[in-house]
Amino acid sequence: MSTCHFALFDLQPAFAIDLDQLAVRYRELARETHPDRFADAAPREQRQALERAAQLNDAYQTLKSPSRRALYLLALRGEHLPLEATVQDPEFLLQQMMLREELEELQDSADLAGVAVFKRRLKAAQAELEQGFAACWDRPAEREQAERLMRRMQFLDKLALEVRELEERLDD
Amino acid sequence: MAYSDKVIDHYENPRNVGKMDAEDPNVGTGMVGAPACGDVMRLQIKVSDDGVIEDAKFKTYGCGSAIASSSLATEWMKGKTLDEAESIKNTELAEELALPPVKIHCSVLAEDAIKAAVRDYKQKKGLL
Repeated sequence: MSTCHFALFDLQPAFAIDLDQLAVRYRELARETHPDRFADAAPREQRQALERAAQLNDAYQTLKSPSRRALYLLALRGEHLPLEATVQDPEFLLQQMMLREELEELQDSADLAGVAVFKRRLKAAQAELEQGFAACWDRPAEREQAERLMRRMQFLDKLALEVRELEERLDD
Repeated sequence: MAYSDKVIDHYENPRNVGKMDAEDPNVGTGMVGAPACGDVMRLQIKVSDDGVIEDAKFKTYGCGSAIASSSLATEWMKGKTLDEAESIKNTELAEELALPPVKIHCSVLAEDAIKAAVRDYKQKKGLL
């Protein structure tokens, strides 16, 4: 088992973390562990340096993203949560379906202003999920709710990605 | 990753895309999602009084394999009884579409959507 992602950055496992501080610490560590610094080292050390750099990068990407951080926190508590498993969360999925339909219409009408409004609503929904998760993830009695919110975050991530892709297409 | 010809065919010419009135007592709606890829799938069936699926519609927001799996599922369900439809296996969908191992979960999602739609119909009719 490798070092916990949080420990790597001298952080306690928590959902609420200071992202600026995380970025600063990441840059410091990335400099220290950069494989170029081991260019003249023995092959074994070079390999270890590469592994450390890869682990650092993985840890940073995981902690930087709220949805990945949420999944990681739940996994740290020993919960195996396969994201491929089908979710039956009817109300939420219905809402997701409607949001995708809305985005499709914005694409068809090439409505950039509409996309901007959509994006703000999506950000607000993401912030709400994150607050909800922050308030319950470490309470054993609310484990199911924390898992549900974490899964919902993954769907909103996908939606945010689609919004970005649509913006790029409309910009061209 | 390369999609099989069958996946591309269903992706480019999806069968039975659409929406039915979810409030209709003869309509069963299955709504499922997969967090890993953020796919959302709605599959609906319209069932005749003698228990045969006379129409099926779907709408999927997801990758080509997820769209093809649900498109094929609606094709296969039409004309089947509820029990027959429920016995459609994801492995059969995956085999027909030649899905690669990393896309098997898309066919699982379609199988789960079929089951959810049948269950919704049965619940409406007080059969569960």
